[in-house]
Amino acid sequence: MTTTLSSPTKSATVKFDLAKYRDQVLPPVVGIVGFLLVWQLLASANLIRLPGPWDVWMDERSRYLILHPLYRNSDLDQGLLRQTLASLQRVAIGYCSAALVGITLGILVGSSVWINRALDPIFQFLRMVAPLAWVPISLAALQRNEPAALFVIFITSIWPILINTAVGVRQIPEDYINVSKVLKLSKVDFFFKVLLPSALPYMFTGLRIGIGLSWLAIIAAEIVMSGVPGIGFFIWDAYQQNYVTEIIVAVIYIGAVGLLLDRLMSVLQNKIANQ
Amino acid sequence: MSVLVSVEQVEKSFPLPGGQEYLALKGIDLQIHRGEFVSLIGHSGCGKSTLLNMVAGLSLPTGGIVALDGHTITAPGPDRMVVFQHYSLLPWLTVRQNIALAVNAVLKNHSPAERQQIVEEHIDLVGLRHAADKPPAQLSGGMKQRVAIARALALRPKVLLLDEPFGALDALTRGNLQEQLRRICEEHQMTTLMVTHDVDEAVLLSDRVVMLTNGPGSRIGNILTIDIPRPRRRLEVVNHPSYYSYRSEIIYFLNQQKRIKQWRARRSTVVARHGLEKINLEIGFVPLTACAPLAVAKEKGFFAKHGLEEVNLVRETSWRGIQDGIQGGYLDAAQMPAGMPVWMSLGGGDNPPQPVVTALTLTRNGNAITLHKRFYEQGIHTLSQLKAYILDSPSRRLTFGVVHPSSMHNLLLRYWLAAGGIHPDQDVVLKTLPPAQMVANLTAGNIDGYCVGEPWNLRAALEGSGFTVATDLEIWLGHPGKVLGVREDWARAYPNTHIALVKALLEACRYCEDPAHHDEIRELLSRRAYLSTDPSYIHLGDPQRLICDLDRPMREYAHHRFFLGAGNRPSRTEHLWMMTQMARWGDLPFPRNWVEIVERVCQVGVFSTAARELGLDVSYQRQPIQLFDGIPFNGEDPLAYLNSLAIKHDIYVAEVALDRRPVLL
Repeated sequence: MTTTLSSPTKSATVKFDLAKYRDQVLPPVVGIVGFLLVWQLLASANLIRLPGPWDVWMDERSRYLILHPLYRNSDLDQGLLRQTLASLQRVAIGYCSAALVGITLGILVGSSVWINRALDPIFQFLRMVAPLAWVPISLAALQRNEPAALFVIFITSIWPILINTAVGVRQIPEDYINVSKVLKLSKVDFFFKVLLPSALPYMFTGLRIGIGLSWLAIIAAEIVMSGVPGIGFFIWDAYQQNYVTEIIVAVIYIGAVGLLLDRLMSVLQNKIANQ
Repeated sequence: MSVLVSVEQVEKSFPLPGGQEYLALKGIDLQIHRGEFVSLIGHSGCGKSTLLNMVAGLSLPTGGIVALDGHTITAPGPDRMVVFQHYSLLPWLTVRQNIALAVNAVLKNHSPAERQQIVEEHIDLVGLRHAADKPPAQLSGGMKQRVAIARALALRPKVLLLDEPFGALDALTRGNLQEQLRRICEEHQMTTLMVTHDVDEAVLLSDRVVMLTNGPGSRIGNILTIDIPRPRRRLEVVNHPSYYSYRSEIIYFLNQQKRIKQWRARRSTVVARHGLEKINLEIGFVPLTACAPLAVAKEKGFFAKHGLEEVNLVRETSWRGIQDGIQGGYLDAAQMPAGMPVWMSLGGGDNPPQPVVTALTLTRNGNAITLHKRFYEQGIHTLSQLKAYILDSPSRRLTFGVVHPSSMHNLLLRYWLAAGGIHPDQDVVLKTLPPAQMVANLTAGNIDGYCVGEPWNLRAALEGSGFTVATDLEIWLGHPGKVLGVREDWARAYPNTHIALVKALLEACRYCEDPAHHDEIRELLSRRAYLSTDPSYIHLGDPQRLICDLDRPMREYAHHRFFLGAGNRPSRTEHLWMMTQMARWGDLPFPRNWVEIVERVCQVGVFSTAARELGLDVSYQRQPIQLFDGIPFNGEDPLAYLNSLAIKHDIYVAEVALDRRPVLL
C-alpha cells in the first residue's frame, strides 16, 4: 500500500485499516471497559466489599500515589515506581544468578546421563517446594532479609531454566550430533556451534517461565519479610493500615510489570532464539 | 581397481529392552572398489542404514571388521562423509556457513583463503550461488540436499555415504538431483555407497546393487552388477537393452523378500492326520494350461480324498519363484519344469546344490516354438529357412525367450536350433522371461520368438502377433513337460504324505486326460485363481494333429497328455537326457556321479507304491529316447552321446557332492 497507488485503492486501504482496527483493537478495549463497569457496578451495589475504580481515582491517597510515582519521604515511604524499581533490582540479581547457575547446571545435566540420574530426583523434589516455604528456611539460614529475599527469587526461578535447558541439550537432533561426529568437531566448536544454538529455544522457554515466577516470588517474599522497601512490602503496609485503594493501585503496578517482563523476554526470545 | 572399503563377516545386533538382542545383520561380506558406486537396497528394517552407519563409523559392528584402506574403522571421520536423508544442516547457519563449518573443521591444513575458495567452489558446483546467504529454512528440500552434498564433497572424502538422500523429495526434484549426483560422481570418480528404496535410482547410479534380505539377521541376498556404460543419462538409460532386466531382477528380489515375510508370519505348524505326517501343504504352480492336474486335484477334491485336507495352491508368476520357494522351504511341493529337479540338485544358477526329487511326471507335451509373425510374412516357415535368414543377417542377432534355464523349453529350443545348425549361444541370444510376459515382449519387439508352454503360443497365434513354427510334438513326441518336485529332505520327513500327494495328482491326471472333462477343466483354468484368461485360449489337446499346419498357421493346439500310465512314472533316462543337455550348453558340469544323482532324483518307488495303491497298471518298458533329428539316446553312455553332438559348449565333468542341508529359514 504505497502512496503511488490511485485513489480507489487508497479508500480500500482505509477500509482495510478500519477492518483491522475493528478486529484487533476494539475487542480488548470493550473487554477492559466492560470489566471496569462490572466492577464499578458490583462495588456501587455493595455486592463486594471492595472500592470500585471510580472510588480508587477519587480517593485522595490513591490519587496521590497514581499521580506521584516518584516521591520519596523515607526508605519505606516512597512513590510506587521507586518501590517497584527496588523490587525489580532484587529480581534482576536473583534471576540473573538463577539463569547463570540454571543454564550451566542444565547443560551439565543434559549432556551426562550419569549426572542426570544423580541429580534429577533432587531437582524434581526441590522444584515442588512453594516459593513461600523457602522464606523461613532462607531467613533462618541467611539471617538477614535482603539476601534471603534474593535467595527466594533464585530458588524459585532456577527450576524451569535448569530443566528446560537440560531437555534442550538432550534433544539436540541425532542428525546434528552425527554431523559433528563425522566432522570431528572440537569440543569448543561443538559447544558454541551446535549445542548452544540448538538448545537455545528451550533455554528461552525456561527463562521466560523463570522471570514470571521470580516476579511472583518477590512479591510473596516482600510481604512476608517486613521492613524492606519494595512493592510487596508496600501492599502489606497498606493492608495493615486498611488503605484498600492503595493496594489496588499497587496490584495494577504488579500486573503491569509482570506483563512487561514477559513481553521483554518474548521479544528477546524471538530476536535471539528464532533466527 | 583396488579395494577401498572392505566389510568382512560383519554382524550387528542391538540390545532389546528385557535383556534380549535383536540381530540386524549377519555374515555381511562386501568389497567396494575405488571409484565404484554401490547401492544398498532392501525393505525397511533390513539393516541397510545400519550397514552404512558402520562404514561411517557412527555405529560399530558387534562382529567382523569394517575397514577403509586396510584400517579398521572404529570412529566416524570426515574421510567417510555422510549425506543424511534429512539433510542435517544446522538451521541457524546460512548455506555458506554450513559448508564453511565443515571445511574449517576438517581442512585445517589449508589457509583461510584456500578454505574460502573451496566453499565457494562447492556452492557453485551444486548451483546454489543465489541462495548462499540464506538459512536452510528458506530453501526447498532439494536445495537443502544439494547443500548437504556440497558440504560432503567439499571435504574430499575417500568415500561418500548417502543415506536415502532423495527419499524425502518429490519425483521431479529427485530426478534432477539424481542426474546432478550422477554427473558429479562420474566427474570426480567418487567412491560412493548409497542406501536407497528406489529401484530406478539404484540402476541409474550404481555399478553394483547390493540387495539385502529381510531382518532379523539380514544377509546380502544378491549382488547385481549394472553393466550399462557411462555417462548414463537418466532419460537415455531406460532405453538400454538390459535396463528392464536389471530393474525386474531387483523388483523380483524385493517382491520375493516381501513374500518371505508373509510366509514367515503365516508359517504354521505341521498338521498330521489320517496317518499322514503332514496334511497342510503349500504347493506352488505357474499359471499355464499344464497346471490343470493341480487345479483339478484341488477343485475336484482329489487332495482331500487322499487325506490332504489343507492344501493351498500358491500361484507364482515365474519358475524362478518356484525355485526360490522350494529352496527356501516356503513351498512343500511344486509343479516344476521337467529339468528343475536335476538342475537344482546339481546347483544350477550358482546356487549350492539342493537335492530335489520327483516321483511323478505331471504332463507331457504342451509346448511349442513361436516366431514373430513377420518371419511368416517373409516366408520363413521352417528351421532351415530360419538358419538361412540368420546367415543372411549377421549384423542383428535374433533374441528368443525361454522361461527358465532348467525348463524343457530352453532345452528343446536349444536342441531344435542346434539340430538346424544354429548355435543357441553364439548365433542367437536366449533370454529368460516369465511365461506370461512372452506375448507382450514379442509384440513389443523385444524378442523375435520364444519357446513356452500353452496358452502362450496359442494366444500369440490367435492375437496375430506370432505363429507356431514347430510344436514340441515335432521335436520330441511325448517329452516330459512338468513334474512334481519336492525337496529330498522333505520327502524323507513326510514319506506317506509324499505318496498321498502322488496318488491325488495321479488321479487328477487321469481325470484331465478324459476328453469328456475338457470343457469343464478349461472353464476351471480360466478362473482368476489360475490362468485368469479367456477359455478360448486354453486347449488341452487335439491328439489327431501332430504337425502344425502352416497353411493355417494361426491355429494350433497343445496336445497335452496328462495320463499315460507308465508315462507318468519319473523316467531316469529322460532326466539323464536333460542332464546331458544342461552340460551340453555349459550351464552345469556333467556329474561324474550321474548314476547316483539320477537314482536320487527319480523316486520311482514312491510312484510305484502310489500307482499300486490306486490299482493302476503302470507296467513299463525301458525305451531309448529319440528326437526329431533321429539321434538316439539310450542312457548307457551319456558322455559318448555328448561327445557325438556337433554343436555344443565345452563340456565340464565334475563330481557333485549331494548332502542333505538343513533348511535355511
